[in-house]
Amino acid sequence: MDQLARAAALLGAGIAMGIGALGPGIGEGFVAGKACEGIARAPEHASLITRTMLVGQAVSESTGIYSLVIALLLIFST
Amino acid sequence: MIFTMETIQIAAFLGAALSVGIASITCGIGVGYIASAASYGIMRQPDSHDKLFRAMFIGQAVTETGGIFSLVIALLLMFGGFDVVEGGWFRFSALLSAGIAVGIGSLGPVTGAGYAGGQACHAISRMPRQSNSILGYMLIGQALAQTSSIFALLVSLLLLYSTPLQDSIPNLSAGHILLRSVAYLGAGLAIGIGTIGPGAGIGNVAGKGCRMVGKFPGQKSHIMRTMFLGAAVSQSTAIYALVVSFLLIFSVK
Repeated sequence: MDQLARAAALLGAGIAMGIGALGPGIGEGFVAGKACEGIARAPEHASLITRTMLVGQAVSESTGIYSLVIALLLIFST
Repeated sequence: MIFTMETIQIAAFLGAALSVGIASITCGIGVGYIASAASYGIMRQPDSHDKLFRAMFIGQAVTETGGIFSLVIALLLMFGGFDVVEGGWFRFSALLSAGIAVGIGSLGPVTGAGYAGGQACHAISRMPRQSNSILGYMLIGQALAQTSSIFALLVSLLLLYSTPLQDSIPNLSAGHILLRSVAYLGAGLAIGIGTIGPGAGIGNVAGKGCRMVGKFPGQKSHIMRTMFLGAAVSQSTAIYALVVSFLLIFSVK
């Protein structure tokens, strides 16, 4: 029974990281796409736009990192 | 349940079918989007039909890469001789998981590469004189988007070639067999689903980059820099998924 629970944890790690990477990937790509548009239209604000893009992506990345942490916990601490 | 030759063939054939079947969904959509953009562009600019046709063809070839990866894995699963009965449940789940990984793993990258190719065709029809630099941006962007499908291919090949046969390890308890089989399945799911987001996201970046190079050719260097930076950050979640897959394949004992 112990091994069954551990097997479920390992499968859960895979699913957590897999589905958890969906949102951040799409979201960060969306941010960067809009930043490309913005910099092309207003190149004089390039540094401001890049800064905003990176901050936005970092916040968006956080859920991906949560899934990574949960996946690593599921692999190593069960 | 008694493990026979048929049991492991079920996994091989099911994996092959899932791999090609799932990957074809977005391959068709992505390649079709590029063709529709090119056709619309030729309607607007009949004089530059050769440039648009070239961009369409190259873009479609790069987009199709994800589909070709899954075809290769499907053929390997069917004819590669991996379905040996000594493989046991380890091999069963590794074969199934290899198919799922590369099948689901090419959904996102192919969508992204298709979007980038379509936007490049739109940009060329708007600004035919910039067709060479737009084509270069399209290729770079599509290559960035396809990177994550290469991760999926890598995990699939590792699952096929570097997972042990169950009978080669003595004294396995039922629990250990379950543990490692499920870990292989989890590795395939992690990299498969994990590449959808980054692939589609980087494709969005590449598409917007191509479009803006067509509109504002003077800002090429700025756009290139933003595109690379954004794509690199977006790729990070695919790398997390790759790390988790490697851990599930190699560190579960």
